[in-house]
Amino acid sequence: MVIRPIDVTDIDELLKLAGEAGVGVTTLPVNRDLLMDKIESSIRSFNEAVEDEWAFYFFALEDVESGKLVGVSALDARVGLDDVWYNYRISTTVNSSKELGLHQATQTLFLTNDMTACSELCSLLLSKPYRHGDNGQLLSKCRFLFLADFKEKFSPKIFAEMRGYSDETGHSPFWEGLGRHFFAVDFSHADYLSGLGNKSFIAEMMPQYPIYVPFLSTEAQKCIAQVHDNTRPALAMLEGEGFNFNGFVDIFDAGPLVEAFVNNIRSVRDSFKRQAVVVKNPQEMGGREPRPFMVSNRSFSSFRVGLVDALHVQADTVSIPQALAEALQIESGDIVRLVELRNKKGVRK
Amino acid sequence: MLCVRPVSHSDLTSIEKLMAQSELRSSTLPLDRDRLSEKIESSVNSFAGSIEEGRERFLFVLEDLATGEILGTSGIDACAGNGGPFYNYRSDELIHSSHTLNVFNKVPVLYLTHELTGKTLLCSFTLGAALRETPAFELLSRARFLFIRQFQERFNDRIIVEIQGVQDDKGQSPFWDSLGRHFFNMDFATADYYSSIKSKTFIAEMMPPHPIYVPLLTPAAREVMSKHHPGTESTCQMLAREGFSVSNYIDIFDGGPTLEARIKHISTIKNAKCKQIKKSDSGFGMKYLISNNRFSDFRCVIGQTTDGLGDIIRLHSKTAESLAVDDGDTVSFVAL
Repeated sequence: MVIRPIDVTDIDELLKLAGEAGVGVTTLPVNRDLLMDKIESSIRSFNEAVEDEWAFYFFALEDVESGKLVGVSALDARVGLDDVWYNYRISTTVNSSKELGLHQATQTLFLTNDMTACSELCSLLLSKPYRHGDNGQLLSKCRFLFLADFKEKFSPKIFAEMRGYSDETGHSPFWEGLGRHFFAVDFSHADYLSGLGNKSFIAEMMPQYPIYVPFLSTEAQKCIAQVHDNTRPALAMLEGEGFNFNGFVDIFDAGPLVEAFVNNIRSVRDSFKRQAVVVKNPQEMGGREPRPFMVSNRSFSSFRVGLVDALHVQADTVSIPQALAEALQIESGDIVRLVELRNKKGVRK
Repeated sequence: MLCVRPVSHSDLTSIEKLMAQSELRSSTLPLDRDRLSEKIESSVNSFAGSIEEGRERFLFVLEDLATGEILGTSGIDACAGNGGPFYNYRSDELIHSSHTLNVFNKVPVLYLTHELTGKTLLCSFTLGAALRETPAFELLSRARFLFIRQFQERFNDRIIVEIQGVQDDKGQSPFWDSLGRHFFNMDFATADYYSSIKSKTFIAEMMPPHPIYVPLLTPAAREVMSKHHPGTESTCQMLAREGFSVSNYIDIFDGGPTLEARIKHISTIKNAKCKQIKKSDSGFGMKYLISNNRFSDFRCVIGQTTDGLGDIIRLHSKTAESLAVDDGDTVSFVAL
């Protein structure tokens, strides 16, 4: 398996993938033209044909044996520059009266544009048959190796919006309790319209004044900052990388937003460089427990990431099996970047 | 004969008894003896002219002159808020529209406001249920208009009345339960009690400062917004006849409506006349609301007279006596 920039030839596979995703993955609507726009935007970005802040980097996970795209993930260099980026910030309003001996704290949602001009991790999707082993980790974390080498192209802080809670039928209690009163369509339709690029239009239909949480239905209140069951592993993974929830949620489904400073992300901070040595007959695992490391070729326009076992990582060099070297488009002597795929130290209890 | 006159200190226990019997609540009549006594004191001072402008609170009682029994109360606060803020929600609409999405929505919103502060407030109305459907009701309520007409310079050009909102069988307010309760953490009756005896600053302290989106309130709360308590039906009808209309303001606790009128549009004030009287014991006509034109010794009764082209009307000597007027004194009168 190897990570590479997406290409126009991937469109059919991408469309299929988006179709599998279901409601809530706003950034990947099942719409050929729109997905094609995203691919083309990514190609321009990897070719440095756009200003850094307008860049959108779309990564593909390719099954090298079939040459097919089986997953995608993306990095949006800046959000909220051409349209308006909205989040709710969960805050507290305190009312207090000495005369009555009362002190009442009320959770309040404030509409903010605080993420404007921040970089975003987005559009993570992995085909079902490939949701095992290291694939999900590689697909998500490959972006940190890209960040590690090209951080000047991104904001110092980076965030990810996690898909919020919705039931099997795609029904979001938070949307029902809040958004629907202001824009009378189903969540799935609102979500689809968002993906088509209407998110800020819909946001403009939403209440601009703060929302007192006790006014929402109990079901809606329960959803605030809750992730969709399918997104739980992704959230745990980002938390393991040092991402934190700081009270920002999505305005439609109240899914949590997590953020981290690029320099504090484990895969950025702990990554290191080695000289590659391409080997024809790599050392056998010999029954050892696998300990995969991500390895990137540190190329901007032909960015590639693969996996290599700890066994091959030495003090100054890393042995790259021939096939992997070809996939990574490297030769002996090239400097590659490595980081252990999983966070061994900070495993959450 | 029934007579409306300024409250005096000796009326305290009668008023307490009256309030205990009343099914309706006037939040401007405190359920606390000390506070009620202060309120009477303030009215006595107001009628004596010894209170600073903008703080006058006039309280009238309805007395059965034959028995001396107190049957009702009505009041006027010259300036709503009485020197402090007077809170309401202003019911408004925000337009949420989008060309791109082809949507145009009107979203109802409540804004906490004190912009009615300083308007003249009709308040403290209490009358036993048995008398509600009798002329005593009009007498007690409309006597205030004759008073305002005579002393207009003491009042604001805009007159407002807060009408009690809807409560369920258990005395709970659906509007309160959906809104205020989240912030006060107490039931309606308790909050209502505090609001009648405490300073109003706690409202500013405890009420949510941001506007309230009406669609987020419960259906029961939305249903009762700006609706009056069924027991206030006759009051609302009378005020409508007088020229009051339902404003955009509602009560912050129970969502009851605020009615509003300009002084010059109030029918009693517009139509009342002022003439000299001559006592006579014969030849009476229609029933009129008649008041003497005195400030601290204001009196208003229902009496019969005939209004002709002349400058003098005849009053029965009993009527004149109850108004404490004599031949040559002027009275104000208006058809009942």
